[in-house]
Amino acid sequence: MSKVRFIIAKEFRHILRDPKSLAVAIAMPLLMTLLYGYAVNLDTKNIKLAVVDEDKTAYSRALVNSFYQSGYFIPSRSAPRLSDLEAVLRAGHAHAVLVLRRGFSEAVRTQEPFQVGLIVDGSDANRAAAATNYSNVLLFDFIRRNTSTQTLRPRVWISPRVLYNPDLRSPDFFVPGLIAIILMMISALLTSITIVREKETGTMEQLMTAPVTPREIIAGKVIPYIGIAFLDGLLVILFAVFHFRVPFEGSYLLLALFGAIYVTAALSIGVLVSTLVRNQLAAMMTTLMVTVMPSVMLSGFIFEIKNMPLPLQYLSMIIPARHFIVILRGVMLKGVGAPAVWHQTLALVLLTAVLLGIAAKRFKLRLG
Amino acid sequence: MIQAILAMVVKEFHQIRRDRFTLRLIFIAPVMQMMVLAYAISTDVKYVYTAVYDYDQCELSREFVRSMSAGDYFIPSHSPVSLLDSEENLRTGDKNVNLIIPRGFSEGLRNSKPVIIGFVADGANANSASIATGYANLIAFQFSERLSGSSFPVVLRQRILYNPEGESVYHIVPGIVVILLTMVTALLTAMAIVRERERGTLEQLMVSPIPVPALILGKIIPFAVLGYIEFSIALALGIVWFKIPFVGSWFLLYGLSLLFVLTTLGVGMLISTMTSTQQQAMFFTWFFTIYAILMSGFFIPIENMPPIVRWFTYLNPVRYFMTIVRGIMMKGAGLESLRTEVLALVIFGVSMFSLSWIRFRKRVR
Repeated sequence: MSKVRFIIAKEFRHILRDPKSLAVAIAMPLLMTLLYGYAVNLDTKNIKLAVVDEDKTAYSRALVNSFYQSGYFIPSRSAPRLSDLEAVLRAGHAHAVLVLRRGFSEAVRTQEPFQVGLIVDGSDANRAAAATNYSNVLLFDFIRRNTSTQTLRPRVWISPRVLYNPDLRSPDFFVPGLIAIILMMISALLTSITIVREKETGTMEQLMTAPVTPREIIAGKVIPYIGIAFLDGLLVILFAVFHFRVPFEGSYLLLALFGAIYVTAALSIGVLVSTLVRNQLAAMMTTLMVTVMPSVMLSGFIFEIKNMPLPLQYLSMIIPARHFIVILRGVMLKGVGAPAVWHQTLALVLLTAVLLGIAAKRFKLRLG
Repeated sequence: MIQAILAMVVKEFHQIRRDRFTLRLIFIAPVMQMMVLAYAISTDVKYVYTAVYDYDQCELSREFVRSMSAGDYFIPSHSPVSLLDSEENLRTGDKNVNLIIPRGFSEGLRNSKPVIIGFVADGANANSASIATGYANLIAFQFSERLSGSSFPVVLRQRILYNPEGESVYHIVPGIVVILLTMVTALLTAMAIVRERERGTLEQLMVSPIPVPALILGKIIPFAVLGYIEFSIALALGIVWFKIPFVGSWFLLYGLSLLFVLTTLGVGMLISTMTSTQQQAMFFTWFFTIYAILMSGFFIPIENMPPIVRWFTYLNPVRYFMTIVRGIMMKGAGLESLRTEVLALVIFGVSMFSLSWIRFRKRVR
């Protein structure tokens, strides 16, 4: 055990001697939290709407106003030319063009059939769908308010209530996932790179000739990065709870326990990668490909797994982050205990055991 | 001078070729990324699992549930009417939404009284929850319309341009192409220069009779070429496999990407002058890449960001190139409509490249 301590001390000295890397390792989680916390909002709002108003009446102006006041649409910075309505869409100055032909106000008064035109830039499918839906609802609402007829009764109302994140704030949604990604990134990447660097510079041979076992070398090299990973995770949680006011309903101790299992899986992947490659560039690219990318894309962090094609859904099962994120969200936002997430817990423990086993075996083979 | 550059380029390519594993990674990684990303990134909300608590149990309430299940949107399933466990299913994540139809639903409707349906959504995924609520409102509105038997006089007639089928890959794939070009050129350049510094071979090159400009150009040209190859592979994959329409000018696209690569190569060089080990270079590039990707409008719409954050996106060269690539590919945009973006790229390219060039020369001397 004391031998492991020496290696840990050596590794820490390496880390402290490179303050630039350490600074980035600490600044990166904060940057990511800030960016995701403030920038990520997948709700479609502020759709740039250009208007062609040939009707030019109080009604048409009131309709346009109700679009802009809804919060979903904002005025585009240039007015469309009648000869080429699509030009504003092509240049990206507007996302949609609302066309009110002459006779709109007349139709509202007399209840004559009338078509209001909407030309939508479909290149972002999500935004196009939102623009169409909002326009339908806003137009419907406007007509209902401006006609005296009772045509639209009876009416069914939806009374929505949102649990767990009632204000639908995105930080609450992103922060748990972000913790999983940062832990994975720091642990897997730093481990694989630090081991490969020793191989590249030839110091691994020196360590091997020293009277320490492979297991001790690995433990010693990996433990400092567990420390950094936990520090990063803690920073993100503190930042999220105090700055973004993300609730923390569950138990910190439980989360730390799950975190330890998850970090073990991440470190095992790091060690595994280090046995496969010879230089740092390759180590970095491989680790990015097998850990960071799937943890961001296939874990349900932003994109829902149930919307993916089946093969990708199956693939996501072997990604530790997928299970860990469910646990994190449950513990942080819903305050659940281990029994509620026993599926994920079981999957995470199994994955970790398998990864750790393979990593330990491969590392011995390489050294033996 | 030209000969010196050529010699450097050849040396660099030899080095790249000799490292088979990395070379393979450089080409396999983007293909894999493209396949996974294009299929995984879908911001459409589908399959909202809905538990229905029907206290009314009559024809009208069942019809309402049927109208909910039209389309791939809500997947309703009836639950026994005991509200005791109604929130437990959201807690465990078995269901996303609980729909509660009150007793007296159909009677209220027959008497032309407004009736209220309970809709309890799991807000842990903020985006889905708000879209689901919007859809539910729309369905209720259409249901009312059908019941009252009168269709609405004034209707909206929409026409969707460029991507009428509403495929989200059309939006995502051009984005991936941009991200790949950014990462390859910035990262590989920074790593290659720093590796020479770490091993001490940069000093050897400096004492050789190669002039400094040739040294710099020789180091970066190979990565510009690699970036271009990768860019083309990704484009081809997008067009052949994902059937992304390409309606604009190839010439314009490749010309403007050269302008863009000037910026990213500059970033790579700049990072190499600020760092001394590969690990640092990697970390710095990564820092840049995260900022560049998130703030580019790749999958997070810029217009949703708060004004202060949006201001930061103007400092992101990738943002402009993203607009250019999407505009050219899908809308057939020409120079005329991309004026602002091109101007921004020129400013970024020239300033970034000259700044890094000056810093590099200083470090070399």
